[in-house]
Amino acid sequence: MTFGTILGAWVAVFLTLAIFSYLYKDNPFYKVAEHVFVGISAGYWASMFFWTQIQPNLFGRLWPASGYNADSFWYKIYNGLHFLTSTVFPAGGIDKGHDMHLIYLIPFALGIMMLLSVSSKLSWFARWGIAYTVGMAAGLRAYGFLNSNVIGQIKGSAMQFVGGDIPFFALIGNSIFNNIVILVGTIAGLAYFYFSKEHKGAFGKLTKLGIYFLMISFGASFGFAVMGRISLLIGRFVDLIDYSKAQYNHATIWILVVMIILLGYNAMKDRDKNLPVSKDVA
Amino acid sequence: MKKITNFILKIGDMDRRWIFIIIALVVLLPLFFPIGLPIRPTDSTQTAYDAMDDLEHGSNVLVSFEYGPSTKPEIHPMTYAVLRHLFKNGHKVYITCLWPDGQFMAEEAIEEIAEQEFNLTYGKDYVLLGFRPGNEAVVKGIVSNIRKLYSTDARGTLTDKIPMMEGINQLVDFDFIFTASAGYPGTVEWVQYGADPTGVPMSTGVTSIQVNEVMPYVQSGQVKGILAGMPGAAEYEKLVGVPGIGTSGMDAQSIAHLVIVLFIIFGNVAFFIERQRQKKY
Repeated sequence: MTFGTILGAWVAVFLTLAIFSYLYKDNPFYKVAEHVFVGISAGYWASMFFWTQIQPNLFGRLWPASGYNADSFWYKIYNGLHFLTSTVFPAGGIDKGHDMHLIYLIPFALGIMMLLSVSSKLSWFARWGIAYTVGMAAGLRAYGFLNSNVIGQIKGSAMQFVGGDIPFFALIGNSIFNNIVILVGTIAGLAYFYFSKEHKGAFGKLTKLGIYFLMISFGASFGFAVMGRISLLIGRFVDLIDYSKAQYNHATIWILVVMIILLGYNAMKDRDKNLPVSKDVA
Repeated sequence: MKKITNFILKIGDMDRRWIFIIIALVVLLPLFFPIGLPIRPTDSTQTAYDAMDDLEHGSNVLVSFEYGPSTKPEIHPMTYAVLRHLFKNGHKVYITCLWPDGQFMAEEAIEEIAEQEFNLTYGKDYVLLGFRPGNEAVVKGIVSNIRKLYSTDARGTLTDKIPMMEGINQLVDFDFIFTASAGYPGTVEWVQYGADPTGVPMSTGVTSIQVNEVMPYVQSGQVKGILAGMPGAAEYEKLVGVPGIGTSGMDAQSIAHLVIVLFIIFGNVAFFIERQRQKKY
């Protein structure tokens, strides 16, 4: 096993146990793990976005290798950028299989405008980029929701109630009884969110039934949430057990023992600090 | 009776850290001493399995990785099982990622399943197209022109030079979609912008917490079955016939659930006894 793998295991064990230590109380181990996580996540996302989108798909379309001409003004700018950083702007243009598309200067400009939000004087430029993003997202989502969530779900709730070859009752799967429950649940649930009529009388009873259906749904959600959290715990424990083996130099055991000693020492020190001061000493 | 009541009240008033220790123990012990509780595939897992099993030999299947290390224990076992199933049946697998860390998960899965277990050829049997930022816009991009979005794969090779990309230009060129999703963007976006507009059948594996959100699409037939969290993975492993991490974690999962249910019952009983006493005095 390489040194890097073993070191990685020790770091993973330390960070896992540091996060778990919060269950005892807030402590420096937890704070270290929290800050490391935030920093690494931000750096990782920024790097990933740049190298998978901005460099190949934006710069790659503005200065593609296929259209490289060292004498043109456009590629003289590129050569200047190449002089600054040859990793992002390699010699002879960016070869990512694109042709030149200068229309991409528009998203490039909008992106730079978004970054101007850090300046108090120029922050108004950022609104252009945000307006474009909001408009595009709204249009894109309106269609998706209408097609899949409205039309698709209405189609899905149009069920068979009489005749056919489905049984009247079945615990799981398609049956007339289950279809009636789904229909009643859908109508009662929707009625609960109708606020233009006071929830009284027969309508009140229907909305109350809607609440019961919603509560069952929340109960199922809670059950699934618990299941998910336990699965994640199992995943971490499986790794911790793995890393406690001799091939990883018993990383889990060592780090756990050291952490417990340090947290215990810290707790004792805190307790001593909080002891009432004796009158004699005072 | 008074003794029992006091005991329940004591449990209801227990320091939460004791509960954490008990949960840790009930999860740990079955991992050391497995009981081997039976696993029975549910209808939704069976539907997903059948949908993929019925595909013609050599079909083009798009598998999308939308999860990261934080949800790896739930989703990773199911992607292993699904990839194993697809490769066993001789399908071509095209991997995309809507999450940046999904790419690492995909690399790990293909290294273990495609390379070590099945000894397949990159670019001929499977390809890792990789991550592209843009969420649902990426799905829209794949629907209209995958070549424009993925001019290169995750390893920097031009997609035009990858043999299995021949004839693959848009989403309708795929026979099936499987998404392994842990949130946004994920299954819902694939349904809304991918499967529904094009009619390409899709199935999914999701984290437990997402099941309620995705289940309506399964009920209406927009999604062919669903693998629900770690139990879904364990059920799929059983159907494929190769037990993995999903199966080994199910004992711990079941016992932990039982203990949590007991805690909820004790907590509620303690709450009602306490309320009764307060009313009395």
